[in-house]
Amino acid sequence: MQRRQFIMLGLAAGATLATGLTLYPMFSEADKTQQQQNASLVLDALLPAILLGALPKTEAEQQQALQSTRQAVLDYLPFLPKRQQAELQQLFFLLSQQLTRLALTGHLLALGELSLEQRLQLLSSWRDSYLTLLQQAYNGLRELLLAAYYGQPAHWQALAYTAPEFRAYE
Amino acid sequence: MNDPIKTGLAKGWRHIDAATLTEDQQFEADVVIIGTGAGGGMTAEILTQAGLSVIMLEQGALWSSSDFRQQERWAYPHLYQDGAGRKTKDQAIAILQGRTVGGSTTVNWTTSIRTPKPTLDYWQAEFGLDFSAEHSLEPYFAKAAGRLHISEWQVPPNPNNAALKRGCENLGWQYTVIERNVHGCANLGYCGMGCPLNAKQSMLVTTIPAALEAGALLVSRVSARQFQWRGEHILQLDAVPVDQHYQPTPSVKLRFKARHYVLAGGAINSPALLLRSKVPNPSGRLGKHTYLHPSVISGALFRDAVSGHAGAPQSIYSDQFVWPKGDEAGFKLEVPPVHPVLMASKLTGMAELHAGMMQKFNHLQVMIALLRDGFHPDAQGGEVQLDADGEPVVDYPLTDYLWRGVQQAYLAMAELQFAAGAEAVMPVHQDAMLYSSWQQAKTAIAGLPLKTYRAALASAHVMGGCNMSADAAKGVVDANGSHYQLQNLSVIDGSVLPSSLGANPQLTLYALAWRNADVLAARLRG
Repeated sequence: MQRRQFIMLGLAAGATLATGLTLYPMFSEADKTQQQQNASLVLDALLPAILLGALPKTEAEQQQALQSTRQAVLDYLPFLPKRQQAELQQLFFLLSQQLTRLALTGHLLALGELSLEQRLQLLSSWRDSYLTLLQQAYNGLRELLLAAYYGQPAHWQALAYTAPEFRAYE
Repeated sequence: MNDPIKTGLAKGWRHIDAATLTEDQQFEADVVIIGTGAGGGMTAEILTQAGLSVIMLEQGALWSSSDFRQQERWAYPHLYQDGAGRKTKDQAIAILQGRTVGGSTTVNWTTSIRTPKPTLDYWQAEFGLDFSAEHSLEPYFAKAAGRLHISEWQVPPNPNNAALKRGCENLGWQYTVIERNVHGCANLGYCGMGCPLNAKQSMLVTTIPAALEAGALLVSRVSARQFQWRGEHILQLDAVPVDQHYQPTPSVKLRFKARHYVLAGGAINSPALLLRSKVPNPSGRLGKHTYLHPSVISGALFRDAVSGHAGAPQSIYSDQFVWPKGDEAGFKLEVPPVHPVLMASKLTGMAELHAGMMQKFNHLQVMIALLRDGFHPDAQGGEVQLDADGEPVVDYPLTDYLWRGVQQAYLAMAELQFAAGAEAVMPVHQDAMLYSSWQQAKTAIAGLPLKTYRAALASAHVMGGCNMSADAAKGVVDANGSHYQLQNLSVIDGSVLPSSLGANPQLTLYALAWRNADVLAARLRG
């Protein structure tokens, strides 16, 4: 794609993200399932990239770690202010739609079809973007995903970290 | 293990979990206190002991020692504002603030510091506030120290704090052993997740039980939405319960009526309630001048294990740079506890780079520098605004003046960490790398872009927004916390501070609350 086109699409997506109010009403209670699907789609694509080097060794353990981390993110989201939740849902929505995904990623492929290397390049491009919204997306997702992964005691072994327990937790 | 809250509830303390209410309800008392942190908790004990009937309101839940678990994934969503995901409007600064019975005192790191004299001098010069001679806070610091077992920490500092001490010693920099509000502390290091041993003398285990014992009513999981007021008086407070994720939900309407209202929701939520209520604001300062002690972070790798998660989280600080001779931004040097989620989310980078740092977790020493905002024309703080849901959001501009402070702080922390024996230092900044010598770090730090999102910034201290002033034209409340326009409203929390403190706030707030609650009790009994 031409750089010029990409910038125009980027600006369009940025404008969509910025004018949250236009999309906000779309996200009603009835859309909860669709929201979860959008979020899962994006999380499933980004988690293996962001957690490269941190995930456990075997394929089975990796799958379990990815699934439990996706679930930890989904469980945590409702504690955020509604404003932040809506922003994240918009990001997940845009990244799961073909046109806006193209604008945000510069790729015709779905996120999950990109190589891990391409997904990391994408995240880096957001980090270094001149668009504030993409920088916020990078920082927000990075923190959310890493916090969800390292919040789980199952992933503390690599850190040689243990926490005291005064009774059984769950 | 003994849980004084569960024991008290079993013997009849009055507590209502608003989330369980199914019908509209009205409550009445002499005084309604909104918020149960340092200000609200202290006020509740003093007013109940003065014989006044008191209702305490808290948006968080009534969690206590037998509920606390030493896991960030439980503590952050349940004990912190916005699930510990609170951030400034542009998302540049993360804000850690408590939201549970006891407020931030339930989750703070126990550091207890008297209000620095230069801060009091600044308040006097700029806001006409006199805390000298017979108005001194000293007697209240002493009372608070007695009530909350505040004393110098006698146990040797953990290696994370010891590095700060050693660096200061080697460089000839000032340092102080911290006073902590603990009694029977086992040196675990989990203060930020709620003390499982009731050793931390937070409001949750001291003043709030005392108020409940004296007959006060605690209503938890309730969100104060709006004051109804006419002329110079508040008529009632409208509130709603919160749901299991602490989101306000209008399932029932709750109405609180009192002779007097004490606002103690902290420096973000207190101004927000007054803004929602559209109270008179002739000074124009309501919700303005919100200070954060924006904090800069620096990581270092040591050959020996540091294990910054174990042991009292803060036992040493350095004031070497907090009151510079020139007019540059001063900063206080401290260390944070090093737990997995806090570190994973703050350390920059991702994938292998991030994973590699996390694998050195126990060898990671971490420093923070708290910028002293509010003392300079170019550091006038942020502003509390309301979003579409009426929830607060802090707009905090980072000025060039503050960015220069950020750079100075990176330099000071790196110099200190190398002086303490670090093998490598990494300023927590998107463009920084691991530097293996002070010279290399010094050159690299000078070139780091001083820009939003590049530097990781955090705040654990929120101050201002309802500032006190001797002159009504320059403040929201007077030196006693009495609101200038509404006769039956006092503000007793961190929002009354007219600048940041240059020190951790809890002891200042205990002393101010004690003093102002005494004044209020005398007035209401009068």
